[in-house]
Amino acid sequence: MAVDCLTDKKVLIKGNYAIANAAVLAGCQCYFGYPITPQSEIGEFMSGKMQELGRAYVSAESELAAINMTIGACATGVKAMSSSSSCAVSLMQEALSYATSDQLPVVLVSVMRGGPGLGNIYPSQGDYFQATKGGGNGDYKLIVLAPSTVQECVDLTYKAFYLAQKYRNPTVLLADGLLGQMMEPVTFKPYPYPEIDNSDWALDGAKERDGRIIRSYAPLADNQCVFLERLYNKYKLIEENETEWEEKDTQGADIVLVSFGSTSRNVKTAAKILRLKGIKAGILRPVTLFPFPSKRLQELSNTVKKFVVVEVNMGQMVYDVKLAVNGKVPVELVHKPVGAPPSPEEIAKRIEELL
Amino acid sequence: MEKDFIIAGFGGQGVLLAGEVLANGFMLDDKNVTWYPSYGAEMRGGTVNCSIAMADEEVSAVQKSDADFIIVLNQASFDKFTSMVKKGGTIIVNTSLAIEKRIRNDINYIFYPITKMAEEKLQNIKMANILSLGILSKVSGLISLETLEKALNNVIPPHRRNLIPKNLEALKLGYEYDLLKV
Repeated sequence: MAVDCLTDKKVLIKGNYAIANAAVLAGCQCYFGYPITPQSEIGEFMSGKMQELGRAYVSAESELAAINMTIGACATGVKAMSSSSSCAVSLMQEALSYATSDQLPVVLVSVMRGGPGLGNIYPSQGDYFQATKGGGNGDYKLIVLAPSTVQECVDLTYKAFYLAQKYRNPTVLLADGLLGQMMEPVTFKPYPYPEIDNSDWALDGAKERDGRIIRSYAPLADNQCVFLERLYNKYKLIEENETEWEEKDTQGADIVLVSFGSTSRNVKTAAKILRLKGIKAGILRPVTLFPFPSKRLQELSNTVKKFVVVEVNMGQMVYDVKLAVNGKVPVELVHKPVGAPPSPEEIAKRIEELL
Repeated sequence: MEKDFIIAGFGGQGVLLAGEVLANGFMLDDKNVTWYPSYGAEMRGGTVNCSIAMADEEVSAVQKSDADFIIVLNQASFDKFTSMVKKGGTIIVNTSLAIEKRIRNDINYIFYPITKMAEEKLQNIKMANILSLGILSKVSGLISLETLEKALNNVIPPHRRNLIPKNLEALKLGYEYDLLKV
């Protein structure tokens, strides 16, 4: 069931509706999208709500059109977003690369399903690489936020809009079919972040000022070098300021289980099971996938004997954990190719086998 | 405490809605709760189910392989879900659309002609889903009729308010299932 925007009452709501409702509350003025399971409820909600509020909703002719419309809207300085899933997010990669070089605060909600190719519509975490490493050309990063509960779908949608504006960088909310389709009680507090002044760059009509151009083109080699240095200084700043993770029972832990998104729910329970058996297991859950909590993992590698990465794909985030740990202690993978996450009991059992 | 529920039937019987009412009820009781639908390449008339997990602490996993209470509104669901009832758990079977048969002796069976009763007593077979929640309330003792009534008000949209009295009747009828001769 969809709810009517702001309410301080607890409501039971689907992840997709929660995301859409939060986007509206975050002040999203334009939504552009093309339906695809398992995120179609986002567009469905927007199609009614945006019109009701006098904001823009466009059911685009394709995902390419939707993301490029989002770029156009963002260039005018308004908050704008698109949402899609896996194989259709693939179609948006070129535009995301452009949006990073145009430095536009595009917000994209990516609700992962099975891949590669058309794949299937079941939950998956197979687009970790797509979101964090990108399929577009050139050196760029997207800010990537990974909710693990429906409440976090709300909170991190707010944050996605804020960080996108603050750093003028495309930001992805990386959910999955399980989070999109499940219901859980949430509360919608008002958008908690300050509004960012964009009057120095937005294309809001050149009244009493010179015209501006936002472009992704530097014909002189040196200009591009300067631009990339500046872009990466920004990414450094994002890493310093915005890295977020959840950590539990890592002090004195022998093993730390690392997981993100919906899978981390089961991993938390698995850690409980292991601790009951006397195995000192802690958990670390990256909330931001870029910036990735590499520094913290590095610190932990001084005291921890082993890291186990649990994910629903063929092993993607495990590489970032390995990079962070840099060979200091073993990093193992427990995974399932696609579908709902493995049960806590199965995760615990497979981890015991690794010890 | 953590308890798991599955409600299953064929498309159109309102099993997702019944699950949503139940989950809303647990929310109103200040429990942690998750609701997850079966979804996939489903066909009209195919089987549908949803699982609800309720816990005092964090729900341990959204999707589980078994449940404490399972409501099955048709034969296909009865066949499929009997094996998923936890030992000592309960299955509520709609005998209007499934044959009464006990193949396990480590679980409790509640057989009741849910659709028939909805049709005869409420003149509406669509009430079978909510009627079954009344039975669940009585059998499980985990959620009160009053809470379910409040939950119904949360779930039924404003333009369907006229349906609430009939649904409340259905809940009550289900709750009193063991008092009625069928």
